[in-house]
Amino acid sequence: MEKIKSNSMLAQDQENHLIDKLLVNDNKAFDRLVRNYSSKMYAVARSFLHNDDDAQECLQKTFVQVFIKIHTFRRDASLSTWLHRITVNCALMILRAQKKQRTISLEDFSQHYNEYGERTTFSDNSGNNLEQIFERQETKTVINEMIRTLPEKYCNVIQLRDIQELSTKDTAEILEISEASVKTQLHRGRLLLKAILEI
Amino acid sequence: MLMIKRLMTQYVPGMLTCKDVDSFLYDFHEGQLSIAENLKFKLHLSMCRECKTYVQGYKNAIRISKEGVKTAEPIEKVPEELVQIILKSRIKK
Ligand SMILES: [Zn+2]
Repeated sequence: MEKIKSNSMLAQDQENHLIDKLLVNDNKAFDRLVRNYSSKMYAVARSFLHNDDDAQECLQKTFVQVFIKIHTFRRDASLSTWLHRITVNCALMILRAQKKQRTISLEDFSQHYNEYGERTTFSDNSGNNLEQIFERQETKTVINEMIRTLPEKYCNVIQLRDIQELSTKDTAEILEISEASVKTQLHRGRLLLKAILEI
Repeated sequence: MLMIKRLMTQYVPGMLTCKDVDSFLYDFHEGQLSIAENLKFKLHLSMCRECKTYVQGYKNAIRISKEGVKTAEPIEKVPEELVQIILKSRIKK
């Protein structure tokens, strides 16, 4: 997770020192942990949850997990990567609990070809630019809502790959699916979104 | 144009059909097509208005998810009150 690492608040040796202190239950270290990392974790939670109340709840839940699990932390990943992963998992759990699954399926929007393999559905919207689309949707909140109402598997990969710009490998790891599934689901999710937005 | 496209995709070896464009689209966007595949892909787009629009729509969908979320304007700094609640939740255990 290069992106997270490069944005992390502490340099590597400082982070190592902090981990040492956390592992011996040093109160000041926990204080530092929360203060140094919570903004970044909050931003991650917020990108999934789209309102401050849910993101705050997520941050609290995440730290409960962090406090419980800190003694199992092995230094094979950086602390920020580890925190990021727990934050994402918590956010996904909250989303799952909230989600009134609207069943939009890709099949409803599937492509049509004739016997020559030529595209037969065509909307002439080449004049559409993104500004117009944003205008048409009125607010960006509507777009966020749309992404959230995609079937969970598509919504998750779009969140991690396209919005948070994680690699395929990291996304596969967090969602515990294969890299091939990340690719397939991302592609289908994008197509579904494209179809819903009629672009 | 339609007839030229059909003749080319049916009779020129290696020409992509619209259907092929779909299956190449993900890798095209990721920049993972080989040079030859990339050329074929672009050649198809240059003579197929439908696919050109389709590919543009795909790119737009990706940009829209990025832009939409970026402008959601989350709070910049976690409030001190929340930091305190979090720290207390550890001590309680
Ligand atoms: Zn075509």
